[in-house]
Amino acid sequence: MSSKSSSTTTMITTYSPSPTVKNRQPIIKDVDWARPDKRGFHQCRPAYLNTGTVNAASGSAYVEFGSTKVIVSVFGPRESKKASMYSDIGRLNCNVSYTTFATNFRGQGTENKEISSMLHKALEGAIILESFPKTTVDVLLWCWNPVAVSFLLCDLPVVISCASLALADAGIMMYDLVTSVSVSCLGSNLIIDPITEEETYQDGSLMITFMPSRHEVTQLTLTGEWSTPRIHEAMQLCMDACCKLGEIMRSCLKDAAASSES
Amino acid sequence: MGSTDGIQADIASEIEVDAFRRLFPLRFYERHLSESVRPDARPLNKARDTSVALGAISSADGSALVKIGHTTMLAAIKVEVMTPSLDSPDEGCIVGFDVFSSGMINLKELSLISGKAAWMLYLDVYCLDADGALFDAALLAAVAALSHLRIPVVSVNDDGRVVAMSGEHVEGKSVREPINREKRKLTFSCIPFSLTCILHQKYILADPTAEEELIMETLVTVVLDLSGRLVSLYKLGGNLAYNSTVQDCVALTRRRVKELHQILNEAVSDMEVD
Repeated sequence: MSSKSSSTTTMITTYSPSPTVKNRQPIIKDVDWARPDKRGFHQCRPAYLNTGTVNAASGSAYVEFGSTKVIVSVFGPRESKKASMYSDIGRLNCNVSYTTFATNFRGQGTENKEISSMLHKALEGAIILESFPKTTVDVLLWCWNPVAVSFLLCDLPVVISCASLALADAGIMMYDLVTSVSVSCLGSNLIIDPITEEETYQDGSLMITFMPSRHEVTQLTLTGEWSTPRIHEAMQLCMDACCKLGEIMRSCLKDAAASSES
Repeated sequence: MGSTDGIQADIASEIEVDAFRRLFPLRFYERHLSESVRPDARPLNKARDTSVALGAISSADGSALVKIGHTTMLAAIKVEVMTPSLDSPDEGCIVGFDVFSSGMINLKELSLISGKAAWMLYLDVYCLDADGALFDAALLAAVAALSHLRIPVVSVNDDGRVVAMSGEHVEGKSVREPINREKRKLTFSCIPFSLTCILHQKYILADPTAEEELIMETLVTVVLDLSGRLVSLYKLGGNLAYNSTVQDCVALTRRRVKELHQILNEAVSDMEVD
C-alpha cells in the first residue's frame, strides 16, 4: 500500500530550496589528505547486517554501510509468470528501487534497470538454478543513501552483498555467498569502499564480486585510468576485503540460525 | 524412554495442528475464537505491539518508521517551494494522503510569500513488511512523520528564488533576512488515528494480521481524531454488519486512539530529549 504521489502532482512547478553547493573544495589537496569520514585508505565503512527483517518474505536482510541503507526481500521459489517459457532451470528476477527520499533532491523513486541487471549478473553465477526448475526467485530491494546526489553505481557492492545474504536467509541453494567490494583510485592512492563524494573525484574504480570460499570472481568492473600493477594491487585488496566481509556475513547467518533454534 | 516418546508425541501433535491450520484455516480460527483467544495469544480486541521511531531518514525533512506487530511502514516528507495557485494564494499543499483533507493541517501555515511562494510537502509511505492492518500503519507513519517535520529556514536571494539558510551557507557579503523566523513545526488542528477490525460472525477482531485478513473478509476501518470525532469509516463489502457492531468498532478505535496518541507523544518527547 505504498502510495506513490508523483503521478498525482498537477502542473505546479516546484523546486528544492536547498542551494546547490558551488565551488566545492577538491578533497585531495596533496599527498597527505584525510578521507571525508576520517577512515584510513584501506578501511571499510562500519557495517551493520541483519537477517529475517521482513516477515512476509521467505528470506530478507537489512544492511547499513555507513549512511547507505539497503533492505532486501527474497520471495520464492515460486511459480514463474504464465507468459514465460518452460525452463529446466530456475529463474532469478532482481529488482532494485530507490526511494524518493534516497537523494538530497526528491527523485522519481523508480526502479533502476542498470543496477538491477548488474545485480542479476553478479548473483546468477553463484545460485544453483538447477535446484528449483520451472520456478522463479524474486529479489526485491529498496535502497536509500542520504549523501548521493545522483544515482551512481557506488552502492552496488552493498546491494550485491545484501542480496546474497537475503538469498542465504531464504535457503536458496548457492555455491557460496557472494561478497562485493569496490576500490577507487585517487591520484597515487587506492581507497577502499569509497563514498559518493570520493567517487566524484576518482580517476578510476574497480569493483569485484567474489565468492570467498571458492575463491572465484563472478563479476569484475573496471573503469577509468589504471596501470596493470595497480589493477593487481587493487584486486588483491578487494579480494582480501571480500573474504573478511564473507566471514562477517557467515557469522551473521550463524547467529540468526542459532537464535531461531533456541 | 518415556520422555522421548512424549517429545515425539508433542512433535506429532504440533505437525497435526500446523496441517489443520493450513487445510481448514477458517475452522482453525473459529475454534480459537470460541475460546476468546487468537492464535498469536492475543485477546480478540487487543492490537499488536506498536512502536514509532522518528527521524529514521536523515535526507528527508521529516520521517518516521512505524511497526505494528510485523507490519512495518516507513514515511518520509520532503518539502519543496511552489508557486501557489491563483484560487488560494496563501496556501501550500500536501501531496500523498487524502485523510489530511480533513483540515488536520492549516494549509495557510505552509505559505511563505502570499501569491508567490508556498511549501509543498511530498509525503511518501513505503511498506517494508506487510502483515495486516496496512492502512493503520501507513496513517500512523504519516502522522508521525508530519509531527517530526521541521521546515527549513529560508530566505529570498537576489534572483527572487527561495533558498535554504543554514549556518555554513550564509556568506559574509549579503546577509539576508530569513522569511520564516525559526525552524518551524506544524500545528495540528486534529490528529487522525485509525483501527482496522475484522467482523466474523459475532466476533470483532481488532488489528488483524495478514493471515486473518486473508481468511475472514469483512474489514472495517475507523478513523477518529483525538476528541473522538469520526474522520472516515471504510467498510468495503463483505458480510452485513449491524449498527451496534459498527458502534463497537468505533468504541474499540476510541480506546486505540488514546493508546496511539501516547505512543506518538513518547516518541516525540524522546526525540526532543536527544
